Amino acid sequence: MTSWYYANLVLIQATFVSLLTALSIQVPIRVGVFSFAGIGSYAVGAYFTAIALIRYQLPTVVAILGGMAVAVVVSYLLSLVLARLRGLYLGMATIAYVLIIAVVIVNGGEFTGGPNGLYGVVSGFQTWMLIVLAAVALALIAYSERGTLGRRIDAVREDPELAVSMGIPVVRIRRLAFVASAVLGSLAGSCAVLLRRTVTPEDVSFHLVVLMLTIIIVGGSRSWAGVALGAVIFTWLPTVLHVIEEWKTIAYGVLVTLAAVWVPDGVWGLITKGYRAVRRRGRPGPSGVDSTADAGPAEPGPLAGIAARGGEAR
Amino acid sequence: MQAVVNALTSGSIYLLFALGMSVAWGTIGVLNFAHGAIFMFTAFLLHTVASGAGLSLPVLLVTGAVVGAAISALTQLLVFEPIQRRSPDAHRAELQILVGGIGVASILLAISQRVTQSVPFGFPPGTITVTSYDILGARVTNIHLIVVGFALVLSAAVGWWLSSSRVGLGLRSIGVDPEVATMMGINRRRLARGTMALAGGLSGVAGVLLTLNLGSIVPETGDAYLLKGFAAIILGGVGTVRGTVLGAFLLAAAETVLITTTSGQWVDAIAFALIFAMLLLRPNGILGHKEVRRT
Repeated sequence: MTSWYYANLVLIQATFVSLLTALSIQVPIRVGVFSFAGIGSYAVGAYFTAIALIRYQLPTVVAILGGMAVAVVVSYLLSLVLARLRGLYLGMATIAYVLIIAVVIVNGGEFTGGPNGLYGVVSGFQTWMLIVLAAVALALIAYSERGTLGRRIDAVREDPELAVSMGIPVVRIRRLAFVASAVLGSLAGSCAVLLRRTVTPEDVSFHLVVLMLTIIIVGGSRSWAGVALGAVIFTWLPTVLHVIEEWKTIAYGVLVTLAAVWVPDGVWGLITKGYRAVRRRGRPGPSGVDSTADAGPAEPGPLAGIAARGGEAR
Repeated sequence: MQAVVNALTSGSIYLLFALGMSVAWGTIGVLNFAHGAIFMFTAFLLHTVASGAGLSLPVLLVTGAVVGAAISALTQLLVFEPIQRRSPDAHRAELQILVGGIGVASILLAISQRVTQSVPFGFPPGTITVTSYDILGARVTNIHLIVVGFALVLSAAVGWWLSSSRVGLGLRSIGVDPEVATMMGINRRRLARGTMALAGGLSGVAGVLLTLNLGSIVPETGDAYLLKGFAAIILGGVGTVRGTVLGAFLLAAAETVLITTTSGQWVDAIAFALIFAMLLLRPNGILGHKEVRRT
């Protein structure tokens, strides 16, 4: 176990870094905000931490929290400015924001290290700290998927008008999603720099946006578990596919395409659906309830509970 | 003056590239992330064939259009259509389609990278004999003229088709309200395939013309153009032909101004800055209409 751990340390670190980065996109998506600003926060966190440690010899904790603070402020302002955009338009605007940051980094000269990036970030940050941080983040997000808060978030995503009429502060929840995404994204960036000791402009690119979107959609966008699965799959897939050497990249594309077509709820959605089917077969419940559930075209949406409580809200 | 010629040429290629993407997004709601890859892959396939066969320019352009249309229509048939059929609501379908496009794009990119080993590729010399003219002190080659001419004629044709023909009207009605359009007897599935074929054909022609203009391209060129295409579309207004024309030439003009007046470091930022500014000021683009949508 320990030898396996040390042999694959880089991949393990990469898994948790991409998990945090992907969560910074998935949290807004769960609220119905299609924003890639988390990748921008990743860049802010990574570069703030690197510059703080190399140029000013600040303590690691200060560097991480500082990057987070900058990312939160920028993302909050972004959420105010972009408030009226929805769907793909918002996605497009945030992609533009990310790529502008990338160009600024490349042209930052001495300060950001330009196209060569920054090297020699030395700190006492360890892999287990990253794992602990990721676990804390996962626990908080898992908590937000349950109970009243979880139902509120579902309502904001599925039907904002209904949510407003039920007294849910939609605008505030959307802004909160931007802030949460900034915290997660900058944390991922800081951790990546602290562990890899370098950061280059190539780390922040359109490719990263595409990879994170793939992780979320293929893993399952509805739950943290799906994102975790996606992060594991897409970090380890290249190593697994190494067996077929030259066809690796082509097989990767084929797998992504197949997953997009055949697994609409992501791998995690497939697992939960399978689990439910097995459980239903094992214990045929009271016929009245179950037969209606089976007859329906799909399982009751996440809004069913809220809508039922609100009477004929729709 | 030379700058104007360059801006017109690159604007024309942006236009041919972005036009199909814009129409597909504005009408059938498909934002195709594989568009850039189709563009590149068409040029790549023709390069592979042409280096042996020595095809002439008209043949290249026609096969480019056919190949691009075929790949694009296949993508619609095999990837986007099943996604749209299975998806419970439009928003989820949008995300699935993005990832489906990403998957297709990475297949095409991987194949061409593997074959070319990421070495720049182009058409064999002698495909076209370059003749240059001197107009007001600027060097204008026949390639420039062909590129600009094709862009203007094709976009005018698409614009006319969308606004005046029965099929184009049907297509636009899908963009306004798919369900009512279906009730009016419009075959959505067939029109969607046709639109994607049109988009692919235009990008295939654009790919051939770009390769002709630059001499050679690399497999990664597609990604860069995808982003430029977004910028042109957002600038002008999604789904409007005139808007896309305006957006493409504005983008090319802005880039050319930046290249000629500064050291050119920031030229990559201009497209994104334009997207961002436009979405802030006028989310529907310069010539875009307000979305007609009932809840």
